[in-house]
Amino acid sequence: MAYDAITLGILWNRLISITDEIVASLVRTSFSTVVRESYDLSCVLLDSRGQSLAQGSWSGTAFVGTIPRTVRHLLSRFPPETLKPGDVLATNDPWLGTGHLFDITVTRPVFRKSRLIGFTTTVTHLPDIGGRGFSSNAREVYEEGLRLVPCKLFERGTPVLAMFELIRANVRVPDQVIGDINANITANELGSARLLAFMAEYQVEDLSSLSDAILSHSEDAMRKEITKIPDGRYTHTINAEGVDGDLTIACTIDVADDQIKIDYSGSSPQSSFAINTPFCYTYAFTAYALKCLTIPDIPNNEGAFRPVVASAPAGCVLNPNFPSATGGRHALGHFIPTAIFGALQAVLPGRVLADPGLINLIRFYGRKPEGERFSTVYFASGGMGAHAQADGLTATPAPSNICSTPVEVFESVTGVLVRRRAIRPGSGGLGRYRGGHGQELLFENMTGHTLSVSLFANRTRFAARGFQGGSDGALREVLLDGEPVDPKSQQELPPGSTVQFAEAGGGGFGNPNERSPELIEQDRYLGLSGVAAN
Amino acid sequence: MGVDIGGTFTDFVLINSANGQIYTEKRLTSQDDPARSVLEGIDVLLSSAEASVAAVGNFVHGTTLAINAVIERKGARTGLITTAGFSDTLELARETRYDLYDLKLRFPSPLVSRPLRKEVQERLGPRGEVIKPIDLGEAIGRATELVEREKIESLAICFLHSFLNPVHEIAAREAISRKFPALSISLSSEVAPSIREYERTSTVTVNAYVQPLISGYLGRIESWLSERGFRGSFLLMTSSGGTISSSTARAFPVRLLESGPVAGMQMAALLGRLRSDQNILAFDMGGTTSKGYVVVAGEAEKTYQWEIARVHEFKVGSGLPIQSPAIKLVEIGSGGGSIASIDRRGVLQVGPQSSGASPGPACYGNEGMNPTITDANLLLGYLGADSFLGGRMRLSVDRAVDAIDDKVGRPLGLGTLESAWGIHEMANEDILRAFRIHAAERGIDVGGYTMIAFGGAGPLHAIRVAQKLRMRRVVVPLRAGVFSALGLLTAPIAFDVSSTRRTCVSSLSSEKIERTFDPLEETARRFVLQTGLPASKLKLRRELEVRYFGQGHEVVVKLPTGRKVAPETVSSLFHKAYQRTYQTTIKLDYELEIMNWRVEVIGPSPKIDLTQERSRSGIPPTKGTRRAFFHDPGKLVSTAVFDRSQLCAGDRIVGPAVVEEIESSLVIPPGQSAVVDAWLNLVIDIDQKGSRHGL
Repeated sequence: MAYDAITLGILWNRLISITDEIVASLVRTSFSTVVRESYDLSCVLLDSRGQSLAQGSWSGTAFVGTIPRTVRHLLSRFPPETLKPGDVLATNDPWLGTGHLFDITVTRPVFRKSRLIGFTTTVTHLPDIGGRGFSSNAREVYEEGLRLVPCKLFERGTPVLAMFELIRANVRVPDQVIGDINANITANELGSARLLAFMAEYQVEDLSSLSDAILSHSEDAMRKEITKIPDGRYTHTINAEGVDGDLTIACTIDVADDQIKIDYSGSSPQSSFAINTPFCYTYAFTAYALKCLTIPDIPNNEGAFRPVVASAPAGCVLNPNFPSATGGRHALGHFIPTAIFGALQAVLPGRVLADPGLINLIRFYGRKPEGERFSTVYFASGGMGAHAQADGLTATPAPSNICSTPVEVFESVTGVLVRRRAIRPGSGGLGRYRGGHGQELLFENMTGHTLSVSLFANRTRFAARGFQGGSDGALREVLLDGEPVDPKSQQELPPGSTVQFAEAGGGGFGNPNERSPELIEQDRYLGLSGVAAN
Repeated sequence: MGVDIGGTFTDFVLINSANGQIYTEKRLTSQDDPARSVLEGIDVLLSSAEASVAAVGNFVHGTTLAINAVIERKGARTGLITTAGFSDTLELARETRYDLYDLKLRFPSPLVSRPLRKEVQERLGPRGEVIKPIDLGEAIGRATELVEREKIESLAICFLHSFLNPVHEIAAREAISRKFPALSISLSSEVAPSIREYERTSTVTVNAYVQPLISGYLGRIESWLSERGFRGSFLLMTSSGGTISSSTARAFPVRLLESGPVAGMQMAALLGRLRSDQNILAFDMGGTTSKGYVVVAGEAEKTYQWEIARVHEFKVGSGLPIQSPAIKLVEIGSGGGSIASIDRRGVLQVGPQSSGASPGPACYGNEGMNPTITDANLLLGYLGADSFLGGRMRLSVDRAVDAIDDKVGRPLGLGTLESAWGIHEMANEDILRAFRIHAAERGIDVGGYTMIAFGGAGPLHAIRVAQKLRMRRVVVPLRAGVFSALGLLTAPIAFDVSSTRRTCVSSLSSEKIERTFDPLEETARRFVLQTGLPASKLKLRRELEVRYFGQGHEVVVKLPTGRKVAPETVSSLFHKAYQRTYQTTIKLDYELEIMNWRVEVIGPSPKIDLTQERSRSGIPPTKGTRRAFFHDPGKLVSTAVFDRSQLCAGDRIVGPAVVEEIESSLVIPPGQSAVVDAWLNLVIDIDQKGSRHGL
């Protein structure tokens, strides 16, 4: 069935609104601050072939790219013809899922008139997964926690109790973890009810022709934009901090007509530590970067993946082999869009962003003053890069997308005190447009117990680069009781100790001498001029 | 007397309580000084009724002054004092991007810029305990810098965890007021006592930002009234649908932000009560937006966390967060002036860009070249080229055809009529989608509800939208043009207060529940009694916000009134509300935790009589016929046009038909019919035949 432009728009928008409802329900029913305050989550609707159709307007960057692949992996373990209404499938396998054990992908097959018509899928970052958890020291995935190979959490509407007991027995904060998994199940239950109501209302018997129409619309639009990029080969190499030495991301982009091929040959071999980035995650950030550069205003779906072919040699840090450790895959994976923007800045100067200061995931594990265990992640953003028309945003996540946890909430669930959360003046790189400034954070262990802090900080040696003559942003710094420490390490803080972060600034854009007098005066008035010392 | 200031017009209504006669007046809002048009309008209104100010019992006022001051950034020069280390909270916000792919997204700049934000040494812990006592000398010093060097006119104070313990905020205010008695000071612990420091800081800042303006404005009106011997109550409409005294409004002007639209919604609720339609979807479609809200069993749902002044096409996350009670409205960018275009996907998009009043839709014949919903409605035959605004404004069919062909028809390969229908239908879909989500968030389906449609464009779209939502009935009230102002007169005096007290349900007893509610009730009662209402007339509503222990968001549990409540009742009400809200079968065996305790004290709803006398013999006369397009049969058909002012109770109009009023027209598709009720509302019992979309 062919859809006219009016009908297609109506149906397409409805699908997006269903995913928005799923996200709202997920946030409101979850337990960990990682989900309920920081929104480390995603939601996608897929057709019966596992192709993504629509995603929540609020969605995490990587997960929307990994979900369709994860669902197809789940389907190869549980073939569609064996699925029943009320089944719920899940996995947190780094290679099949999102790149590390912390995220669980939960999917619910949706049946209409006893026919499988699609899937609703959510991902959330769990507050704990046992093992070493978030630790740069892990050398194999076995150390990092519980790995759930594709499994069923519900079978025909009944919980598979053994799975819940297994998970409960292997994590540090079982009520939160089980609560969050239930929030995923609830959200998918709501989503499938909404999807069925939508289909009944519009008499859509099966989603495939609608899916074809939506996907080809997006694909065509993206290919059209790609043809505007001059054919040719664009290369770029960037450096990033590893755990035991520096790492390289090399990318080679071949633009030919309406197709883009990206290959990461020449990137570092896989690491012995937990910074390896499984290919699913590499791919997701690759596709994300190209979507931003071509069709940022068209809702995302599988159609925007089709014109992109990505590859990385097996055994390289962007396509590591099992069982390498991957807990900190984001600390490297977040550099991928900057490598792509760097390669294409000469041909797309009006579309790229200068390098971002990136986000810092700080995991706190310990006991509250009353003795109860907690495990949580605090997300602290650096500054965003500037672009050709404006300054970068201060303390804003990029390319990932997360919210910070309110200090009042963080303190109440941990007993750790935040002493300072302030803009870091002068940390954004100079330029015609300045990079966004980072922020300063100071945590004090007021719990009365030893507090464990897992550090996975990047941009401690390689600053966010400015583009087109803009200067680099300030580096990230981590201090323990005022002294610099290894930024990728696990630290034990005795009661009364502090850990302090100066988050990295974004890169500037354009020659600083061309900055307008008004903007210079505004910087001065706001107390944000100058250059932060490193 | 009710006076409602809107964006373009100020509406006036006077009801003679002796004989029920209703007088109305409508005039352009004087943008430079809204008090002028208000006072002039009151004069005209009173003289038309041959009454004096001294004879007015209650004067209820709704105003968009506060929200416009924020949107247009015309508030006071405002300072902010925070806990040491947190003066940038207002600017760091929640550190998130509301659009994942738009790398050039922007955020509103903070209402208080960096040099006007100062810090004071003090610290409370996460249980409200004092970790470091406040340095009052420093507080006075910072305030002095702000007043003397930065010339602030208003000050907001927000300390961490003050919602649990206001002691430092209160001490700071006392110390600063002693030195600067004239300075207006807003405390976060009074304005928005809930957790999450960014949202609370944002709210108290907005309060401080609009306070001098609102205070000056109200003062001017009050002295004008008292010079003329006014002895009644001067009341203000709040965002949550109750009215408050002007002194309360001066302290908490943030409560007035949505007072405009809420008045119309109140009126819809009243109409529902009169007609015994208890479950309502109110639908107000104007020139730039559509608004809606649901009333279930006579009650509207409230929200305590919302957003104003969005900078990016109504996108969630691009505005300033507000933590204050408000009727939960949904607002989307679909109004008569919304522009139709082809979006980047190659599909039709209608709004949120609007042609506004100037240049306006293409058919206005001004500079506007873009096709709008109004242009589509003209070509579909729903609006008359010669009868728009009672014939005061001629619409150009040719201009509408050109605009639609140019921007929609040719790019999509569609004919003019097909394109016009597409625009009309896309607007219907955008509206009903927003409404459905709004209803779904409350866990309800509006199928079976009654729609009350008003605003200039509401009745043009009402029946089709209602049909698609499978609603039972549509009511199009008389005087839709001054509907909001009339609504002001129906609102009860009310005030709600809340308090965050984290409590496990299992640790509670009935007595403890009462003890926790008592002081809240006391406070709310005090604000309501300020208006002069006798204590015997007050009603009480109590709500808890409850969650599973460890969650971060709550479900509202409404407690039964008039008796003590057992903890087990709270548990069972929570589980029901949770499963309904999230449409889930999941029920966890976790401990339940109460976060917020909320009390609303409400006075009686004023009674107004809307019965209308009008009679005529014979069948309703038509003004003529014109050709109008309907989805079924999918072509132009001859359609009777009626003049609403000629219709009397009991009249029945069978579709296809258009009923014209000065400010709006009701479109009745084939297969539907309208009956005029005792209040001269047009009532359409929806025939659901053919309600499937047939897409």
